[in-house]
Amino acid sequence: MITQKLNDQITRIGPNTPAGAVHRQYWQPAALTDELAGANDPMLPVNLLGERLVMMRDEAGDLILATREASADEAPTHHPAREDIRLVEGGPVYPVVEKNGICFAFMGEGEPPAFPNFDCFRAPESHVFAFKGLWECNWLQALEIGIDPSHASFLHRFLQDEDPSDGYGKQFRDKAANTDMPITQVLREYPRPDIEVDETPFGLKITSLRHMKGGLTHVRVTNQIFPSAICIPMSREMIITQWHVPVDDENCYWYTMFTSFDKPVNKELMREQRLKEHSLPDYAPLKNASNNYHYDPEEQKSLTYTGMGMDINVHDQWAVESMGAIQDRTREHLGRGDAAIIRYRLLLRKAIKAVQTGKLDRLPMQDMQTTPEIMGPLSNDAIADSDDWLGASMATDMERRQAAPWDATV
Amino acid sequence: MSQATQPETVPSTWVKIASTDALAGPRPVAPVTAFGQKLVLFRDEEGELGLIGRYCPHRGADLCFGRHENNGIRCPFHGWHFDRSGQCTEQPAEPVDSTMYKAIKLPSFTVVERNGEIFAWSGEGTPPVLDA
Repeated sequence: MITQKLNDQITRIGPNTPAGAVHRQYWQPAALTDELAGANDPMLPVNLLGERLVMMRDEAGDLILATREASADEAPTHHPAREDIRLVEGGPVYPVVEKNGICFAFMGEGEPPAFPNFDCFRAPESHVFAFKGLWECNWLQALEIGIDPSHASFLHRFLQDEDPSDGYGKQFRDKAANTDMPITQVLREYPRPDIEVDETPFGLKITSLRHMKGGLTHVRVTNQIFPSAICIPMSREMIITQWHVPVDDENCYWYTMFTSFDKPVNKELMREQRLKEHSLPDYAPLKNASNNYHYDPEEQKSLTYTGMGMDINVHDQWAVESMGAIQDRTREHLGRGDAAIIRYRLLLRKAIKAVQTGKLDRLPMQDMQTTPEIMGPLSNDAIADSDDWLGASMATDMERRQAAPWDATV
Repeated sequence: MSQATQPETVPSTWVKIASTDALAGPRPVAPVTAFGQKLVLFRDEEGELGLIGRYCPHRGADLCFGRHENNGIRCPFHGWHFDRSGQCTEQPAEPVDSTMYKAIKLPSFTVVERNGEIFAWSGEGTPPVLDA
């Protein structure tokens, strides 16, 4: 449990808020390249960190975010037509950099930081697919589900396993490394992971250990990338790097870069899988609170833990939206399974203090020299002899990096 | 019932919160707002009614979508399980040696069913007689 004052401090992100100032020290996903639709002269409405903006090109042809006029009662993801967009004369203008399908904006003062050399940025364009979706809740609860390794054993439980060979482009459908067990079965049978959390130059490394029969351990390594992203394995071939970007205090977008270590990503298939679950232009999910996420009590009895279908994104969306627009953390009771959440909040509070006292060098990934040297991060599933889980986790990662057709060495 | 015998701080009346029909389907779980709180009403496997806080005390997920099993309601987020008194009985994602669940209890209210209607009382101890 935390106080209301602290909950406000770590969740609210508008201009001149403590957590908002931390976010503004980092590149933020602002739009998908897909949304620009190849236009030479784009005018794309962007709603980010409580500001009303438009993505366009400046006189030099570079992408920028400019401020647009907005009425106070605009919907959070309001998307005015081109002819209705009015720029604010003399309003803030922010730089934009496009990386493998996502346009990142820097909304802070001074020089933007360098990009770290994560796999999603290093991989060629052919090996990265980007997509986004709206969740109607505060960004922090959206991030916190991503650094909570134990929920996967419950929220995403399938009471029957699918054939992993049908699982392209979907989470948890692969077999666990070196076994014939689908990951879904490992998660279901071993629901009480030991969780280790280590601070890293980019945020946190989160290791979940599920000790299995026969002296084996399932090791799942996921990561928190400061301030609002995670990097997690999706299959043996692909990892997910996902930002939880505030639209305003009560809405956020997830932006995901799916990065393949092996074959080029089948972007048409992955786009089609996801477009049929969302409506444009605001990428709002078709299953949502207004239709009870298509909740089916019969399905909940026999097939899925939630009764909300096989798409794990919908399970996560339900979990975080059902807490309310901003989770009331004055009533929460965190357990040992929430170790990474507790650790992350400490990082965020430290960062808030550093920004308030002008000690920006204490924030992760602000150093221009060392940030581009940050690689990886290691993000995978492995099953190994329990006495060598760490070595096995590293070896599994190195194996796919060495076999990758692009330079994935670390 | 006699108002005079009740101390002023004790709620003296039962409040109608739902009709029995609300729990008529195969999954007898329904959202209820009463006493200024969002609650979940359910019938357990012993046929008894529970009226408990709607949001999981762990991280706030909505128990109205909970799994109706094991004589109570189970949160789909991490499997925390609650009985009709609001007591947490299991935390299946926590380490085996954890006893944290014993200290977790949701608010709960006394409920009775009478003539096709369900009434709740928000006080402690012995409730007043229900004239319904």
